[in-house]
Amino acid sequence: MSVLGPTSPDGGAQERVEGFIAPEIPGKAYQLPLWRRKPLLIIGLVILGIYVLLAVAGPFFVDDPRVTDPANFYQGPSSDNWFGTDKFGRDVFARAVHAARLDVTIGIVIALSSMVIGSAIGVVSGYFGGWVDEVMMRLTDVVMAFPGFVLALVLVAAIGNSVPNVVIAVSVAYIPYFIRLTRAQVLAERELEYVDGAKLAGNSPLRVAFRHVLPNSMGPSFVQAALVAGWAILTVAGLAFLGVGIRPPTAEWGVMVAEGAPDIITGQWWTALFPGGMIVLAAMAFQFIGDDMGAETL
Amino acid sequence: MATVIGIVIIVFFIVRVLPGDAAIVRAGPYANEQKVAEIRQQYGLSDPIPVQFRDYISEVFTGNLGVSIRTNGDVTDELLQRLPASLELAFYAVVLAAIIGIPMGIIAAARRDSWVDRMARVFAVLGSSMALFWLGLLLIYFLFFKLRWFPGPIDRLAIGTEPPDSITGFFTIDAALHGDFGLMVEAFRYLALPVITLGFVLAAPILKMVRASMIDALESEHVRTARAIGVPYWQILFRDGFRNALLPVTTAIGIVFGYMLGGNVIVEFLFAWPGVGRYAYTAIQVNDLEALQGFVIVVGILYVGLNVVIDLVYAWIDPRIRLGKKVAA
Amino acid sequence: MSLLEVDGLTVGLERSPHSLLREVGFTVEPGEVMGLVGESGSGKTMASLAIMGLLPSGIEQRGGTVRLEGRDLMDSGTGEIHRTANQMTMIFQDPRSALNPTMRIGRQIARVIETNQNASREKARAAALAALSHVGIPGAKRVFRAYPHQLSGGMCQRVMIAMALACKPRILIADEPTTALDVTIQAQIFDLINDLVQETGCGVLFITHDLGAIAEMCDRVTVLYGGQVMETGSLRGVFTQPLHPYTQFLFDAVEREVDPRVEEKGANFALAGCRFGHRCPYVFEACGQFPPLRTVIEGHRSACFLPEEGRIGAP
Repeated sequence: MSVLGPTSPDGGAQERVEGFIAPEIPGKAYQLPLWRRKPLLIIGLVILGIYVLLAVAGPFFVDDPRVTDPANFYQGPSSDNWFGTDKFGRDVFARAVHAARLDVTIGIVIALSSMVIGSAIGVVSGYFGGWVDEVMMRLTDVVMAFPGFVLALVLVAAIGNSVPNVVIAVSVAYIPYFIRLTRAQVLAERELEYVDGAKLAGNSPLRVAFRHVLPNSMGPSFVQAALVAGWAILTVAGLAFLGVGIRPPTAEWGVMVAEGAPDIITGQWWTALFPGGMIVLAAMAFQFIGDDMGAETL
Repeated sequence: MATVIGIVIIVFFIVRVLPGDAAIVRAGPYANEQKVAEIRQQYGLSDPIPVQFRDYISEVFTGNLGVSIRTNGDVTDELLQRLPASLELAFYAVVLAAIIGIPMGIIAAARRDSWVDRMARVFAVLGSSMALFWLGLLLIYFLFFKLRWFPGPIDRLAIGTEPPDSITGFFTIDAALHGDFGLMVEAFRYLALPVITLGFVLAAPILKMVRASMIDALESEHVRTARAIGVPYWQILFRDGFRNALLPVTTAIGIVFGYMLGGNVIVEFLFAWPGVGRYAYTAIQVNDLEALQGFVIVVGILYVGLNVVIDLVYAWIDPRIRLGKKVAA
Repeated sequence: MSLLEVDGLTVGLERSPHSLLREVGFTVEPGEVMGLVGESGSGKTMASLAIMGLLPSGIEQRGGTVRLEGRDLMDSGTGEIHRTANQMTMIFQDPRSALNPTMRIGRQIARVIETNQNASREKARAAALAALSHVGIPGAKRVFRAYPHQLSGGMCQRVMIAMALACKPRILIADEPTTALDVTIQAQIFDLINDLVQETGCGVLFITHDLGAIAEMCDRVTVLYGGQVMETGSLRGVFTQPLHPYTQFLFDAVEREVDPRVEEKGANFALAGCRFGHRCPYVFEACGQFPPLRTVIEGHRSACFLPEEGRIGAP
């Protein structure tokens, strides 16, 4: 009969076991540094940081994008013009940097405003329930019946082309996401005991809803907001590409792609593809951030 | 059903109850006084709102979506005429997206953290952040301008080519049904670039959904049981894993369709595709609100209809929904 | 030679020094039912999954051997366990979620038969039908065509047993088979398992936290706590004369207060030595080392240093 005890014919595994067992700290996972646990988050933040830097400080360092230089038109990328020049001889890179200011700001503003408004509605709807909730749910159903882009398209067409209108229109398209997300969280939260505690302490229902329940229901909304920022940039650029919303000569990435599109057929790819690349990279950065933002599992 | 009514109502409000005189907006920036008055008369815009609403509702529900300001043609007819083009594009795009997304998603889930999985995840992120117009331009540049593999973005067939007699409205199928395979190939060649553009982007959410639901399914208890009792690997993967992951995947396809209805405008514009999306684009350019209104209603109805179909598919796939009652205690 | 021999089984989270199971070992003889007892979190399910080679992702086996009829089941290259259903199979705690919800019962049983007994489609279907009656399901024909959500828990568990039967295993692991069921059904399930043992001479590893079930079903018992084996022996031996302080706690209905000084001393030991150290009233210096299972009485082992000191826990 074999003797049972701390023996193992697998010598290699045994060695690992010895090395790990003492000292043991029950409950604490072996910690890798943040950059290894969430590489995408870090990359996303870095890229976003670069964009923000460009947006804030860029325009001070590049030439005025409105300066035209007809003699120099349609030059490919070079050390003078990193992104080349367009048909008016304008430096594409300078224009793109100026556009960064607009696009990045718009993306963040849209994400934040739809998050704030959507969450507020979601809290009211989820916490108070009743006919308010019913109506809100029906409304969100209807709004969500349209693909976001089409909705934004129609809204901008209806209320006119301008930057604020675009922000409003696209925000409206994304608000329902936040309403649903927050409402779902609130429905779970309001059953928890701290809510009873807050009510007993004499807080008005509104205060309980906004001061106590809302902050705890916002978790998923922040993640969604990061993703929405990226989508917002894509949507705004897409609208601009179609000539809706933001129009030339405003420097905006989508506008630049629209202007550069016909050039592709004749081979001048840099006027359209560089600004477009900026859009995609920004969206990717937000995607990385949103995807990796989640809480860590042990 | 209630959603459809809601859609119709909301569209009305958006289109009619706007800042600015509705007639002036419609007439466009170049119209004179007389034109504006005509329009006002023609569209009943001086009637009080409730009257307008009543007219509008009765018109819509009889299938009359109004008259286009730009062309003076019947909006319903114009939309129906262009619908097959959009559907053909959409259909092939979804097929391509499924062909790419589903197998990749399955393999990525089956071989977690392998190079296939990593590649799939990169692909998914790329697809989710992709600007359709940028990708389209990229493909046009490389595959048309540089390599000349595919024709340029002009319409569904080369200029001057006769389309096949319409049976289904799909050029590819109609050509095949008439035995004209050369024409069918041509149609495919013109379809290629827009389909690849759309398909690539649509594949990303499909892949994500398939991978996530496959992983869930494979870690489920009944898969554990199947492994315990000796069911072979491939059978587990498909019958226990994928079959049960099918439900969330169906939802994903619904979402994808929604995205496509929006994306269609961009792709159709870029590739000069004569579908409903392009129609909407031209409508916007000239403030043809009637046409735009019709477009939005059609899109909304299609989307809702699609969701109904998906719910039905759901019910068919999941026996728990199909058969409720207990058989034995 | 024992039918199943588990030795030095050590399992933990990947990339973590934390162990979920440490040096777990026991045997199962042919035709006997070995009980694996422990409270929730003691690692009983984990041990069974490890033996079956079904560890979830993120958890790896770090050491130990699993031998069935003398043959090592582990692939020395990959460290993975290769086991066929014919050798060893398992039934799980929640029968309803253990069955595939989109596949009919009959088909689920039939495919087990198809694979394990190399039978044809028709033969397998007939055998599946027979298996359903064999485990005492009335109206076998209707159940055959039903889906799992249409059956009750007890019924589903019988189906699971039928599937296990179809594998004709040498070892059956039953992980809390009746915890999710009524007490009345419990007796029937126990009978089924006993019949199986009688008919095939297989060995059963019966996992539970229910001491009553142990008393009814098992020939021998192994006590698990905190991922370590505390004690193992015959049913009678362990029940009448528990050697390990933890086992004594289990059987003792009286609440014991642990001296706080002792508790603090013991807490440090629990990390590297005996897991029970932080709750044991008799903890002393030696407990800082990992206590191996030592035979105290013939056929009755305890993982404790007390017997060496001439003491056996409570007098």
